[in-house]
Amino acid sequence: MTRIDQFESVFKSADKPLFRYEPFSVGSLMVLTDLDDEAAESFAALVGRYTGAGGLREISAQRVIKGADFATIEECLDLITGEKPDLICTYRGLHSDCWRWGQSLGSYLEVLTQTVSRPVLVFPHPAAAGTISVAEAGCRHVMAMTDHLAGDSRLVNAALFFTPSQGTLHLTNLEDQQVFERYMEAIDKIPSIDSAAARDSVLAQILKEARDYIQSCRTVVEEHGLDVEIQETVELGLHVADYKRLAAARDVDLLVMNTKDSGQLAMHGLAYELAVELDDIPLLLL
Amino acid sequence: MFFYLGWISEAHPAVPAWVTMLFVSILTAMILCLAFEEKLHAKKSVIAGLFAIICLLLGAVFGLLPFGPISVGGHEINLPVYIPAIDWGVIAIILGSSLFVDVTSRTGLFTWIAIRLTKASGGDPLKLLVFYGLMTVVFSAVLNNVTAMIIVGSLSGVSLKKLQQEDKLLGFLMIEGLLTNIGGLLTLISSVPNIIVGNAAGIAFLDFFLQSSAYVLVATVVTIALGSRLFGIYRLSNEAEREQARELVAGFDENDGIESRFFFWFGAVMTGLFILTIASTSVLPYIQDLGMGFVALSFAGIMLVRYKAVADKFYEAIDWDLLGFFAALFVVINVMEHALVLQLIGTGLSTIIEAPPKIAAAGLLAVSAIFSSVTDNIPLAAMLAKILQAREHVPEQLWWSVIFGANLGGNLTPIGSASTLVAVTIIHKYKINLSFAGFIRMALPYALVHIALAIIYVLLFF
Repeated sequence: MTRIDQFESVFKSADKPLFRYEPFSVGSLMVLTDLDDEAAESFAALVGRYTGAGGLREISAQRVIKGADFATIEECLDLITGEKPDLICTYRGLHSDCWRWGQSLGSYLEVLTQTVSRPVLVFPHPAAAGTISVAEAGCRHVMAMTDHLAGDSRLVNAALFFTPSQGTLHLTNLEDQQVFERYMEAIDKIPSIDSAAARDSVLAQILKEARDYIQSCRTVVEEHGLDVEIQETVELGLHVADYKRLAAARDVDLLVMNTKDSGQLAMHGLAYELAVELDDIPLLLL
Repeated sequence: MFFYLGWISEAHPAVPAWVTMLFVSILTAMILCLAFEEKLHAKKSVIAGLFAIICLLLGAVFGLLPFGPISVGGHEINLPVYIPAIDWGVIAIILGSSLFVDVTSRTGLFTWIAIRLTKASGGDPLKLLVFYGLMTVVFSAVLNNVTAMIIVGSLSGVSLKKLQQEDKLLGFLMIEGLLTNIGGLLTLISSVPNIIVGNAAGIAFLDFFLQSSAYVLVATVVTIALGSRLFGIYRLSNEAEREQARELVAGFDENDGIESRFFFWFGAVMTGLFILTIASTSVLPYIQDLGMGFVALSFAGIMLVRYKAVADKFYEAIDWDLLGFFAALFVVINVMEHALVLQLIGTGLSTIIEAPPKIAAAGLLAVSAIFSSVTDNIPLAAMLAKILQAREHVPEQLWWSVIFGANLGGNLTPIGSASTLVAVTIIHKYKINLSFAGFIRMALPYALVHIALAIIYVLLFF
């Protein structure tokens, strides 16, 4: 019955997830800081300059939270629950000086990204060198990154929202090379499978799925008349090192990624590593 | 084919009755083994091959076989006795057309058609059933029943899952399985019984099509209408559901399986030419002498040029079990002929065949359908074709009774035809519980309607 499988595979391959354009809507924005009045307003202004060229120009309400407004994670979450902002803008090392060592996002941010369903835009710490220049450079090159892009319309819509007119949206799908090699090693030991053919076919298929989806994104973006250039990066990689290399090579101003994992309480493994290590560019954590 | 026809016309030696009865029991044992091939975990070719060995040995022991050189075009040549026993014309048609279909399917042509129809349905279950039903019939007619069932059945599984309509999959697969045997009646090359009986009766491709098409049309419409009602497959009830279904099927990309645009169109043109040439083989100069087997093999050869470096992959994919089965089966039937078993069955059937014409046609159709429902329809078709061929002035009605009965009997049980067996395999692949008796319960109303319609059709139009 191999021919049944053969045709079933052909039809499954032809069944492609299409990008659904659902414009991100950010009516209210919360700038969450642990700073005093003046510094908090200054950070809010910085955020405004950074996002000024993107979709955030249409924000109708903005609330700036200062250091004195909360003292515990619980109070912070209560504030967010009360305000119900569409987007939270903050920075790494909130109410902590862990940002100096770069080993952690800080406990506030780690809890926040996992308990609040709203997206969180994370900047480098305001006191870190280069934060002002990063923010003032604005957001022209946005990268949405994942290890499984096909069908992830939410990620692409979020990245599109931050990509200004005539900006560039890099859609990046890096398949985990270590996982791939592990399976290929297992296949190499199975006599009934042609190892070379399996390697070529599996690799071609997993990369094709992402490429087809990016093509669907291009088509939909064009149909909606968005003046955004979409560039694709679809390859095997060793994750953190490769993402860091790609972000630097593409001169990325904002990295967009998923952080929630339905199977665990902590931040999605890869996202956490990246969020910690990519400490010099803003991140949008979904 | 010509060796075979020439050889069987030779006189047979006298055969004692007990020897004939011994071979009757061997034939019965083979038919039983073929009916229970799943239980025996044995392939058809092995079963038939084993019986062919036994038959040849016993045939030699009892002096039934006409050893010695045979005459071809005035030249005497030595061939093993079992070689001219095989109907090579039939083998060539099956080998050539299955190879042609296999290579052509690599062009993406059939999947392109299947996905275009899926998208044209907008994901509406009833429209999908109508389109898939029609596609099953056409593919069965142009390709073969098994390939048609594999293509349409696997697409049904994927598309209904995508549309979150998996609860309708059983209905779709059952109806498609039944329709493969209806579509298998449309042309001379649509099913093996058609090829065997059509060749024996001397029915040309075009005549076959013209004579069977009205029945196929009516039976298709009835099957889909009945299927929609019995399996509860209706149109979507509101615009929101229709919009959602449209969006879901829009995700299918008909161009995904097309490796080369040029080869796609080449495949489409070649398929058209193949049907045209097969249809006109009996009137084309030179080609008519070479026969349909030559046409099928030639088209397969031309298509293989595109994959000349990996042609061996296609040879590996050929259903050697089926071809081996046919070859062995022809040998068994040939020995049975020498043992006067076919003559005995023919005498038994003479009560039906020699009855008043209408009763004979209806009776032969019903008997063929019942027998082909419990065992393979190919030995049945081969035996009946030989029995009718041995008689003088066989009315056209009787040939068509065998054709309709042998094809439609496959709809009574899951083992009645290879394509319904494929349908059941796909049903089980999707973890849907369907027992042997469950299949019969579901298929019985359709099969009875098909057979009743066929009897009326044969009595009215032949």
